[in-house]
Amino acid sequence: METTAWFAARQELPPNRRKLLAIGSFVLPILIWCLVSYVPFLWHPMVRISDPGAVDYFQADMLVDKAVFQAELETVQTQGGALPVGELSNPIYLPPPHKVAEAFYTGFTTPPASKDGLWLHQSLWQSIQVIFWGFLLSSLVAVPLGVLAGTYSAVSRLFEPFIEFFRYLPAPAFGALAVAVLGIYEGPKIAIIFIGTFFQQVLIISNTTRKLDYALLEAALTLGTSRLKLLRHVVIPGILPDLYRDQRILLGWAWTYLIVAELIGTSSGITWFITQQARYEHFENVYAAILMIGIIGLGTDLVLAWLGKRLFPWDKPANKQ
Amino acid sequence: MDNTTHDYLSQSDAVKARFDKLKQREVILEVKGLNKVYKSAQGETTALSNVSFKTHRREFVCVIGPSGCGKSTLIRILAGLESYSGGQVLLDGKPVTGPGRDRGMVFQGYTLFPWLTVRKNVMFGLEMNGMSSEEARREADLWLELVGLERFASAYPHQLSGGMKQRVAIARALVNQPRILLMDEPFGALDAQTRCKMQAHLLDIWRNVDVTILFITHDLDEAILLADRILVLKANPGEVQELIEVPVPRPRSVDQLFTPEFIATKARLEALIHPPASIASDEVETVKPHMIRFTNVADNVE
Amino acid sequence: MSSSSGITGFKQLLRRTVLVAGLGLAMVVEAAQPIKIGYSDWPGWVAWQVAIEKGWFKEAGVDVKFEWFDYAASMTAFSAGKIDAVTVTNGDALVTAAGGAKNVMIIVTDYSNGNDMIVGKPGIKSLKDLKGKKVGLEIGLVEHLLLLNGLEKAGLNEADVSIVNTPTNETPQALASGSLAAIGAWQPNSGEAMKRVPGAKPIYTSADEPGLIYDVLTVNPVSLSTRRADWEKIVKVWGKVVTYINDPKTQPDAVKIMAGRVGLKPAAYLPFLKGTRLLTLEEGKQVMVKADGFKSLYGSTKIVDDFNVKYGIYKKPQDLDKAIDTSLVNK
Ligand SMILES: Nc1ncnc2c1ncn2[C@@H]1O[C@H](COP(=O)(O)OP(=O)(O)OP(=O)(O)O)[C@@H](O)[C@H]1O
Ligand SMILES: [Mg+2]
Repeated sequence: METTAWFAARQELPPNRRKLLAIGSFVLPILIWCLVSYVPFLWHPMVRISDPGAVDYFQADMLVDKAVFQAELETVQTQGGALPVGELSNPIYLPPPHKVAEAFYTGFTTPPASKDGLWLHQSLWQSIQVIFWGFLLSSLVAVPLGVLAGTYSAVSRLFEPFIEFFRYLPAPAFGALAVAVLGIYEGPKIAIIFIGTFFQQVLIISNTTRKLDYALLEAALTLGTSRLKLLRHVVIPGILPDLYRDQRILLGWAWTYLIVAELIGTSSGITWFITQQARYEHFENVYAAILMIGIIGLGTDLVLAWLGKRLFPWDKPANKQ
Repeated sequence: MDNTTHDYLSQSDAVKARFDKLKQREVILEVKGLNKVYKSAQGETTALSNVSFKTHRREFVCVIGPSGCGKSTLIRILAGLESYSGGQVLLDGKPVTGPGRDRGMVFQGYTLFPWLTVRKNVMFGLEMNGMSSEEARREADLWLELVGLERFASAYPHQLSGGMKQRVAIARALVNQPRILLMDEPFGALDAQTRCKMQAHLLDIWRNVDVTILFITHDLDEAILLADRILVLKANPGEVQELIEVPVPRPRSVDQLFTPEFIATKARLEALIHPPASIASDEVETVKPHMIRFTNVADNVE
Repeated sequence: MSSSSGITGFKQLLRRTVLVAGLGLAMVVEAAQPIKIGYSDWPGWVAWQVAIEKGWFKEAGVDVKFEWFDYAASMTAFSAGKIDAVTVTNGDALVTAAGGAKNVMIIVTDYSNGNDMIVGKPGIKSLKDLKGKKVGLEIGLVEHLLLLNGLEKAGLNEADVSIVNTPTNETPQALASGSLAAIGAWQPNSGEAMKRVPGAKPIYTSADEPGLIYDVLTVNPVSLSTRRADWEKIVKVWGKVVTYINDPKTQPDAVKIMAGRVGLKPAAYLPFLKGTRLLTLEEGKQVMVKADGFKSLYGSTKIVDDFNVKYGIYKKPQDLDKAIDTSLVNK
């Protein structure tokens, strides 16, 4: 007996199907990646030269377009000489999964090459700290401000127009100013995360606050709650689960600013590692580092979601998941 | 039209005696010449015009009237949630200036605090007014027992049915021991059966608690079943049409639905709320004379 | 007239007083702190890593802290006054100064010796073949200067080619797209462009005009005047670095250290080092003699200065006598 169809609007699926789809959502892209990487006739637009033969500019391990290789091969065939040899290959920008997996592992086991260099996990830790402090500082100001703006029209009218304007300004553009004010180490990086998160945070949270059913405030008033107590005893507990959900989304947002933040001031952190590795075309390292960020991001979010369920047992959406 | 054998104005001796006694009691709420005008971009709407009435202690008053006649506006003004443009609202002779715990309110929508358990919801008003949580808890449990929900004390609102939620809301309002309990269509969203039970339950509570109730409904049966007196409003602008003394004797039950007093009162209410001559003028209720047919002519259902 | 000169005189006096007071303050504060030098990913600057890891600064008795930056970020940090010195090209030293962060070049670390190049697509054999064609490069940067320099030698001028403004790190793709006859880029981008377009060849490189682009260590004038003795020691250490890298016996160790800094294998790093001509102190001394033309830092910097003014990178020519201090290498 089918109880739920696969596609029923806003209906939850049975647990076994949910699990299946969750696994599928990771397996499918990996499968596509494997197919493109290991099945020679899929994509593979380049040829990796193994023997240059008589073509003067070919070198071993050089990547050339399939068409170029074909053309040179024909020239050599008609003119005579040693034939160039090569095998089909993908562009350097798409390393195969096993290379990335290997890079992922060796990334953590290889000691830093220079004396003052950092282990990969130390770089990661630097990045996590930048995110943590940037997000924490932003939250310390933005959450109260957002809640106040969502509760009191006067606060909203005073702050929100400017914030609406400021949020369109690109955070990275403040890099030089941040360096001038906060120095060259973590300060300016944290500032970029702060600027990138803060303005959105105020607006999103004030909006969430405004969505709280006004009837709850009225109910509290008819129960003899003073207007001053409303904020603490009704507004804040009332929006808490939604606020928590907002914060989870905003934390992900903060990560997207990391890549620009870490190019400001002294070079540090995991995205600096990515930039540096990309410059020298070590794309397997680039992908390994991207994976690490993804794992950290998804991991934190799962932990926070789990925590949220325990913190807010009354929150229906969280419970029904 | 005049097929009633009974006049709604004639009261049995017992009923008359009851009303005499009731009018001896002190006046809890007095509304004098109340006016309310909403100003909006579309212009001014007079929601209430010159509304006056009194309720006595432990009286059960229902307010009834067509949709949009200003029932909710009235009760919100009484609760102090809405300002008014003219007139006076006096509670125990003192003017009402804003919301307060002396007027409990049960809303049509569910307004339990979702983050608090049932017990904490009931304790809320007490704690906000400085009672220690130990004491508040004891009080709350008493009232939960009264509404028959002691077993659900530690449940969250989302785990309750609609009827249970409204019972908690009643307990939450009553625990503050208000002078008057204001109820705005509290059973409007419930199914007929639950609604019936809730009405009986409310009468039980009212009998056992020293509280005056002002109850809004658009269900005529409900009004007659519950009320001592029914305040009938008319729309555009909202004005008092009549204050009817319900001749149906107490204690009340659904068995009285077909008694002559009941039928007579209902007929009167029907006549007031849906006057036969003015049906055409009531735009909302008008049915189109020529309805388009969306089915096969042969496919007749009647 | 007299009143205005009076005011100017007063202003100068005021400025001098403030400056002296500032210097005094700076001296007190900075004496305790290490000298901070920003360096970035260019072989001539990564070379300092050898001194850092060998502990030569401590040996020389000077407290130096090198900070590793992205190139653009290092200039920002210097402009913001957060570091005492920075490694840049002579052209960028002028740009930084024009932006307000005055600086004094004290050592020429190297000149580009082939790392910067104009790469022509197959069929383009020399700069002459570019006549009437499109060249992709970043306008106002050194490759632009390199192209103009080459065109002039080939008897052409800027009007003979059409320049397409292309970010340097996108030049490989731009050349591969086939719409350009040539691109201008430095390593590793130029190398990547040649890998990407088989048959593409460098048609003009910085090796054809040694001294077109000098790389320097340039210092905040306040730091230079308050801690002159320290800077003299740092200059001495540079001499040691070049000797160590150039000596075939020690070169593998040096390359290993340098490759480690940028995260490459030593073998992969060697070609980049070859495209850079490191200058010993003696060579630096000869380069820092006033003369016209690319043989002299003065001559080369003058050409960049003119170029920068012409292309509106800044408005007024810079004072080269203040921008270069030869006394440290000559000591
Ligand atoms: N905030 C408001 N602004 C403007 N007009 C309003 C506002 N609230 C109510 N009104 C108007 O006042 C009149 C009375 O509204 P009210 O909600 O009191 O009616 P009601 O009797 O409770 O209707 P129902 O039975 O449908 O609940 C209506 O015409 C309505 O349009
Ligand atoms: Mg209403």
